[in-house]
Amino acid sequence: MDQALKGRKVLIIGYGSPIRGDDAIGPLVADRLQAEGMPEGVEVVSRHILTAELVADLVEHDRVIFLDAAVDGTPGEVRCRSLAPDASAMSTMAHFLDPRELLAWCETLYDKVPETFLVSACGSAFDYSNYVLTPTAEAAIEPMLDWVRRLIDTNAPTSTDQVQATSSRETGTQAPLQAR
Amino acid sequence: MSRTVTIEPVTRIEGHARITLQLGDAGEVEDAKFHLTQFRGFEKFCEGRPYREMPALTARTCGICPVSHVLASNKACDHLLSVSIPPTGEKLRRIINLAQLTQSHALSFFHLSSPDLLLGWDSDPVSRNIFGVMRQDPALAKDGIRLRQIGQTIIETLGGKKIHPTWVVPGGVSEPLTQEKRDAMLKLIPEGLEIAKRTYAFFKTLVPKFKDEANHFGSQPTMFLSLVSPKGHLEHYDGFLRLKDAQGRILEDMVPPHEYERLIGEAVEDFSYMKFPYYKPHGYPNGIYRVGPLARLNNVDACGTPYADVALAEFHMLQESGPIASSFHYHYARLVEIIYALEMMERLLKDPTILDARVRARARSNRYEGIGVAEAPRGILMHHYRIDDEGLITWVNLIIATGHNNLAMNQSIRQVADAYVDGNNLQEGMLNRVEAVIRCFDPCLSCASHAFGEMPLAIELKDATGRVVDTLRRG
Repeated sequence: MDQALKGRKVLIIGYGSPIRGDDAIGPLVADRLQAEGMPEGVEVVSRHILTAELVADLVEHDRVIFLDAAVDGTPGEVRCRSLAPDASAMSTMAHFLDPRELLAWCETLYDKVPETFLVSACGSAFDYSNYVLTPTAEAAIEPMLDWVRRLIDTNAPTSTDQVQATSSRETGTQAPLQAR
Repeated sequence: MSRTVTIEPVTRIEGHARITLQLGDAGEVEDAKFHLTQFRGFEKFCEGRPYREMPALTARTCGICPVSHVLASNKACDHLLSVSIPPTGEKLRRIINLAQLTQSHALSFFHLSSPDLLLGWDSDPVSRNIFGVMRQDPALAKDGIRLRQIGQTIIETLGGKKIHPTWVVPGGVSEPLTQEKRDAMLKLIPEGLEIAKRTYAFFKTLVPKFKDEANHFGSQPTMFLSLVSPKGHLEHYDGFLRLKDAQGRILEDMVPPHEYERLIGEAVEDFSYMKFPYYKPHGYPNGIYRVGPLARLNNVDACGTPYADVALAEFHMLQESGPIASSFHYHYARLVEIIYALEMMERLLKDPTILDARVRARARSNRYEGIGVAEAPRGILMHHYRIDDEGLITWVNLIIATGHNNLAMNQSIRQVADAYVDGNNLQEGMLNRVEAVIRCFDPCLSCASHAFGEMPLAIELKDATGRVVDTLRRG
């Protein structure tokens, strides 16, 4: 685990619909991480959607890594970016929330925001499919796992140096994965 | 010249909807309609699937109350199997249903409705949201998060996951409860109950401030439909149908849920994808009734748990006599039900038989038709299936809580519009009240979308000639 993270708590949240094609990549990567076993202090959860009560979990952790599918990019492209609170990233509905809105809840209510990253992979098909990805998205799993491992790796350089911290509104500022 | 006002989308509800207000020559409201603008067709595409898939399929209609669908669907499957599920299996199903009710009511009160209740209907819409609530009353907002967390944690502990648990199965539940899990859930209850009581006490101080809204927010006379226990107590999982009229007279009582078709008809209108259920003996649209927390509390003789019964008595003091008429008091009823749910979960978890290993009855289908009825957070939920010799679904009818309330929601927005909307001087606060009356019902439109028909999709303000002269759009 990252030296800076030693003794600190990390939460990995893979989210997306398991029955909407490549949208399942977040939960699938989370399941893979869970299966391979995580170091002490690292917790992994899968969620269909992000809901309000997750805020209470976020503020209990020092670093949070969201895993999600993306639609804005080349299919298969894996990106990692830091996230900042953004109260404007609100949904008109309440049963799903943007991770940046959750961070804004943390900031407003608890005056504490975990260091947060979003690792995403661009999908290509989001029609009905039960936990089955397209080959393109399937190929993105390993690079996503690699990003997560780097974000929690003891021997890797401090992960915050690897990605460009962006305002959540600057959605275009993202760091493509570099081959290791 | 008459005009039409459109509010689209209606915010802080589950799903997508539009409200249209038709104004007359003098700017008075002539008509008001609530449109469900999404069509999903679940009943149709379930045809041909094995009945055992129905709980998983129908749970996908909604990310908010999948547990309710899972329960109603499994009850319909129990009926197809013709089995009585083991008592412990039933108790465990009751617990997950009450946990679902707790988290869902918490979302409705703390996150969807508290901005209006705390900040006021006429406050700046830019800050009239959950962040406004957090700034004004952070402790309340934290309570909302914690209460939801408690409800969701119990669902996850029992069901294995929060959003689409597969632990409830035809014939019961798939796994018995362990002592470790029981103890973990029991530990959560006292804190949840403290939050629920604290919020209830706080809300009681707010109620007098909303006397005007309570008078005009869907206070029209309707009947009330809900399940009740054989003793006439509050019931969310099983029991019998009871229907009361606006004066509190019991018109139907102890009706087995399988006989729902004798009571309920469904009409279709061309302006919404949601059907319009009605009480058959009174015809359409006179057979208007309401379901959900308000109806449940109006219909029961008692809740059956100590603190909730005190709160129920206070609920009935909101009005001099008869069933509580105002839909504004759905908020009150929700808080009473959260208290009840926590008290009842604690009772069930402490039941010495809750750890019994026998939790599932096994059988193959023994009937061609199955009906499952349970109380979802928003009201009574009905699943009705027919299958063939191979166990494949040939016909499905789902009557969703929000659908039952469709006539009442339409009538309620008309009442609020009559009271607050001045077509000659349209103010955002007026339209917010029109939206807010819909939020009282806490509609979940994701699963209420059923009706077929041509629908003109768009709060619109139309003039006497039908021309759209103003539109309110948000989100």
